[in-house]
Amino acid sequence: MKGQTLLLAGLLGAAGLVGTGVALAQVDLSGNWAAESMEDPVEHTDGGFPDMFAGIPLNEDGRQAGLTAPGDEAQELNRQCEPWPAHYLVVGPWGGRFAAVRDQAGHVIAWTLSSPAYDRLPMTIWMDGRAVPPPLSPHTYAGFSVGHWEGSTLVVHTSLLKDSYLLDNGVPSSNQETDTFFFTRFGDELTILLIVRDPVYLQAPLVLARTLRLVSGGAVVDDPILYCMPAETLAGFTDGHHSAIELPPQEAHQQAYLQGIYHLPLEATLGGAQTMYPQFEKKLQGRYHPPAKCTLYCGRDETLPIPNPIQTR
Amino acid sequence: MLLGFTPLYAQQRPAKVRTAPKAVTATVPTDARQQAAFDATGYWVSLVTQNWRYRMVLPAHGDYAGIPINSRAEQFADAWNAASDVAAGKQCEVYGAPNLMQIPERLHIGWQDDDTLRVDTDAGMQRRLLHFGDDAAAAAPSLQGYSVAQWQLFNLANSFGAPDDPAAGPRHGSLVVTTDHLLPGLLRKNGVPYGAGTKMSEYWQLRTLDPDQWLTISTSVKDPEYLIGPYVYDSIFQREADGSQYDPSPCSLTS
Repeated sequence: MKGQTLLLAGLLGAAGLVGTGVALAQVDLSGNWAAESMEDPVEHTDGGFPDMFAGIPLNEDGRQAGLTAPGDEAQELNRQCEPWPAHYLVVGPWGGRFAAVRDQAGHVIAWTLSSPAYDRLPMTIWMDGRAVPPPLSPHTYAGFSVGHWEGSTLVVHTSLLKDSYLLDNGVPSSNQETDTFFFTRFGDELTILLIVRDPVYLQAPLVLARTLRLVSGGAVVDDPILYCMPAETLAGFTDGHHSAIELPPQEAHQQAYLQGIYHLPLEATLGGAQTMYPQFEKKLQGRYHPPAKCTLYCGRDETLPIPNPIQTR
Repeated sequence: MLLGFTPLYAQQRPAKVRTAPKAVTATVPTDARQQAAFDATGYWVSLVTQNWRYRMVLPAHGDYAGIPINSRAEQFADAWNAASDVAAGKQCEVYGAPNLMQIPERLHIGWQDDDTLRVDTDAGMQRRLLHFGDDAAAAAPSLQGYSVAQWQLFNLANSFGAPDDPAAGPRHGSLVVTTDHLLPGLLRKNGVPYGAGTKMSEYWQLRTLDPDQWLTISTSVKDPEYLIGPYVYDSIFQREADGSQYDPSPCSLTS
């Protein structure tokens, strides 16, 4: 199958199938897909920098929620195994596995998109035309997803998500978030465009892209975190039930961390829609001077320890 | 009732694209403009939502995260000095095709002729020409190299080998671009190099979700001289109504 794209359909003569909204034809997405593109390499692997929101169109509520995020949920025993919402497919490190769900006639009525790790729940993408449940239906981390084909692109709309985080540095996501995924397969590569809309925390859609590569017959990653292993709480730091939430202002941390290491102006790190457009680069001219030398997460020959968000706050 | 679909001729990133896709039957469309899977013409603005620290501000010397460089590239970049290159008039070396779509910028896309798509950038004032069905053999090396493009079409109206009729229904597809004949340049404004043997391939796609429209480009850069594997990244552009914000500015290695 490697290097090939299968077309599952061709014939759907049964008029009844059309009437019931069964998926008519599609590219075969089955298989294990591992992350290939290298956007935000540090953030995708070791985690995002606390309070670094540049390029994220946060509104003021989102910014304040992000600044006050504890960053130490693992210190709350009941949250140690909390999974990520559906958008983690694009902002997380793992990729995923597509599998078709067929009816008795062999037609694809849904796709499942699972994760090799415990921290994103499997998504079921319904292709049979069913309606999205009402807004007050139960919200889950996986959400409710419906899909359709636009040519060779699988378009998926996901809603009914739980309150969570958009990024692991505290950027929040609300239960009003909706995600639209565009999946297009090119041989052994799968491109994804994700459009996140969140009227609670975002002032504009957050648009992210990623490319995955088919890992034929293998695992998505060599060493995934297959299941959650509860972490120990730090004695003297928390009681196992509460996070060390810090209230604004957080500027001291910005100064000490993002400005100290990366020389990033506060105006940039606070995010907002303006920080994702080219004219913002001009706004920073004369106000930003790069560090003389990279000292952290430099790509090759990493020698410095991963910063602990708790310690950096 | 019979419904069918054009076989999808998806493929691995091609080393060089010379022929039309198999599934596009030789019928109505006579040139690339008519055959277009989508209309990319107009003005577009970069959305810098990813790799912000490497794109929007100058990265620190020695920050190579995310690029699969080898030790030779590391040595090159460690010794690189922006001031020397500026003095040598090489300010545009980071605006070559392998990195151009990562620069925060605006694009103006139009048809140069019926078989050549023109992509202009305001940042660095560069021009890429995407040649449909053309051969790069005679091209001289340049900053933007020589790009060969082809549409990958998926026409819902085209089934069971029926003629591809552009008027018969919605047309979907992608633009596949391969580029070589490149002069050496930089992948990042801190001296990460690519060599003269670099080849790149791109998937261009149009996405619409009312009221917005995005152009996404998935790029894979291969360089046997300085990379240990493909450097793959995705660029996102949002459509703009007009060119009022298109602001040509010269190349810069220092901002």
